[in-house]
Amino acid sequence: MAPSNISHRQTHNLLLISKLLSLRDTASPLTLLLDSLEQPATPLIKEYIRRARLSKVHVTLIAFETLKPLDGVDAFISARRKSPSDIVKEVSAAYRPDSSNSPNRRRLILIDSINPLLHSTRLDNSFQLSTFLSSFIVPTSLSASSQPEASLVITFHQDVPGRPSPYSPPPLSILTYLATTVIKLHSFSHILAQKVARDRSLVPPVFGLEEEQDGVLLSRLDKPIGKDSAEGVVLEMEYRRKSGRGVLEWYLLPPASRYPATQVREIVTLLDDHPLYRPPLDDDAGDEEEPESTFELRLTERQRRDREGVVLPYFDAQQGHGPGEGGRILYDMGEEDDFDEEEDEI
Amino acid sequence: MPSQPPLPHLLTPYVTSPPQASLTILSSVLGATSNWLVLRFLYAALYASPASGVGHGVLGVEAGKKRKVVLVSFLRGWEFWRSEAKRLGLDLARLIEKRQFAFVDGLSELFSSPNAPTQPQYPGARIPPRTTLPLRSQPGPPRLRQPVSPSAGGDELLNPTTKEPGPVKRLHLSGCGIVALDGIEKEIIAVINQLKTSTPAEDGEVSEVLLVVDQPDMLLAATGPSKAIGATEMGEWILGLQQAASATIVTISADSPLIHNASAFAHQPATPLETGHAAFAVGLAHRAEKVMQLRNLETGAARDVSGVLRVSKGGAWGQREGAEAEGSWEEKEVLYFVQRDGGVSVFGRGE
Repeated sequence: MAPSNISHRQTHNLLLISKLLSLRDTASPLTLLLDSLEQPATPLIKEYIRRARLSKVHVTLIAFETLKPLDGVDAFISARRKSPSDIVKEVSAAYRPDSSNSPNRRRLILIDSINPLLHSTRLDNSFQLSTFLSSFIVPTSLSASSQPEASLVITFHQDVPGRPSPYSPPPLSILTYLATTVIKLHSFSHILAQKVARDRSLVPPVFGLEEEQDGVLLSRLDKPIGKDSAEGVVLEMEYRRKSGRGVLEWYLLPPASRYPATQVREIVTLLDDHPLYRPPLDDDAGDEEEPESTFELRLTERQRRDREGVVLPYFDAQQGHGPGEGGRILYDMGEEDDFDEEEDEI
Repeated sequence: MPSQPPLPHLLTPYVTSPPQASLTILSSVLGATSNWLVLRFLYAALYASPASGVGHGVLGVEAGKKRKVVLVSFLRGWEFWRSEAKRLGLDLARLIEKRQFAFVDGLSELFSSPNAPTQPQYPGARIPPRTTLPLRSQPGPPRLRQPVSPSAGGDELLNPTTKEPGPVKRLHLSGCGIVALDGIEKEIIAVINQLKTSTPAEDGEVSEVLLVVDQPDMLLAATGPSKAIGATEMGEWILGLQQAASATIVTISADSPLIHNASAFAHQPATPLETGHAAFAVGLAHRAEKVMQLRNLETGAARDVSGVLRVSKGGAWGQREGAEAEGSWEEKEVLYFVQRDGGVSVFGRGE
């Protein structure tokens, strides 16, 4: 890839992730975070909340499995034993913009895990996931103009199995179809281990539940490779533009301890730019690749001229003195050769 | 081998004082059960508080704080826990009298109706209650059990039939779905609150109650979709219990068929039990701060190793602000060996 192409991709895609995480211009109304036990979405959710605080966005957390509200959450709604319509009502009641003074604050609605809702046995047949989700983004109240712009971020645990229904598509399909951005989370150390294996044409290793080992739920250990710089969350992002075209990119979110909570500058980097993932090439290599050695392998100017002046033997054959002349065998008998008559008769 | 200290020092940072409002998951397989680990948690919480002279080092931090424990067991009866704890030097019966410990029996009469007329008819029968066949509840409309206050109704009814001391509360499941689970939840929360408020009011503060729920997956397996109880309902039930207690420990089974048959990588369709159990177990691990996994040795059985213990950070680790600072523990994998006398040694690989 040409260097200009890379730098264009860098600037463009970094701007994009910054826009998505900071919820600017409602770039993505419905974001789906796909996490697993190997890499939970907690660091990314905290990052969302941190940025929302910086830009004074109202944060609502709908908790299906969280007991205590996270820091920085403005409204905490426990969804335990509540029907979907009740949840919608509570969420819309949680934030009433006072239309008098300030311009509308934007709003971030987080759902800590959608799985319990999807697999609940209490849901009746009238429950529609798409209706439920869109009711957060598009409030149906009369004063629609005064409603704040809302972005919805949903976490889906990929490793929690659900009851398959023969008459409807699996919930994950619906969610990925509806979402405007899908972010899949990976552990950086696992990505590195898999890359190392792929670079050697080995089968990439699997971790945790995928190992299918008896009694193993989680494989994550603090120092899997022995480098503590291999911390962080790898985000595999798919952003669907309004035109329908998708943008795919891999990012790295560093651990929260690496930067102050009030930092405004972008901290997410492209995965390709990380030195552990793609070690930088040596720059001192010139235009031509030349092997390093104690011998002088280059030619001087004079040697080069001499070499060009050499007439190689097959050029002689190409001179062409008419047909029959080209195929001669030029051979001088030596002392030790004895002339074989029989062979020469043919 | 010399007798082991009740709390192996490698294990101490992991079993002492689980943080506030946290969930700890102990997962076990058939060949590597979690009883000994549950007992270590009980020991760490209960033994340090009365004997302040013993409390030194890590335990000394806890010596001043009153910790109480409620143990809810769905797979093992009171007799088992009492005798196992005794081997550790922990007298649970005395602790019950001192109102520091409460045992909730979810096994003996879970599926028998609580007010069945047959119960008091055999007061002299020496049959232990665990071995009696569970009585069928009456067919008909599901009775909505009123939350009986445990001091009044439960004990009077149960104490004549059993010789067991203290509030060995027995759970009864009646009804269907959420109603049934709510009934159980109310009973357990009543026990927790009873223990909380029964503090001798010298310091005035409400003591912390550690809730240990042993193998609630049995409840899920025994009810299932026919009773409208699934993984979501069980998860919400645990969430309700968590709200009442200060810290919660849940043990679950993580055997391969129960976890992996329902995963996306399996090739055959999974049964409802497999799906439900996997969703429940993995869902709990997502909510836990600490997951302690017990499993067999990969290389086969050994004479001096019982299994492998892996401590990992669960899905909820890092949600609380400052969690890194206060509870600094590292993820670790160690081997353990349960001796015949109940002592446990914990050691690293190759040590």
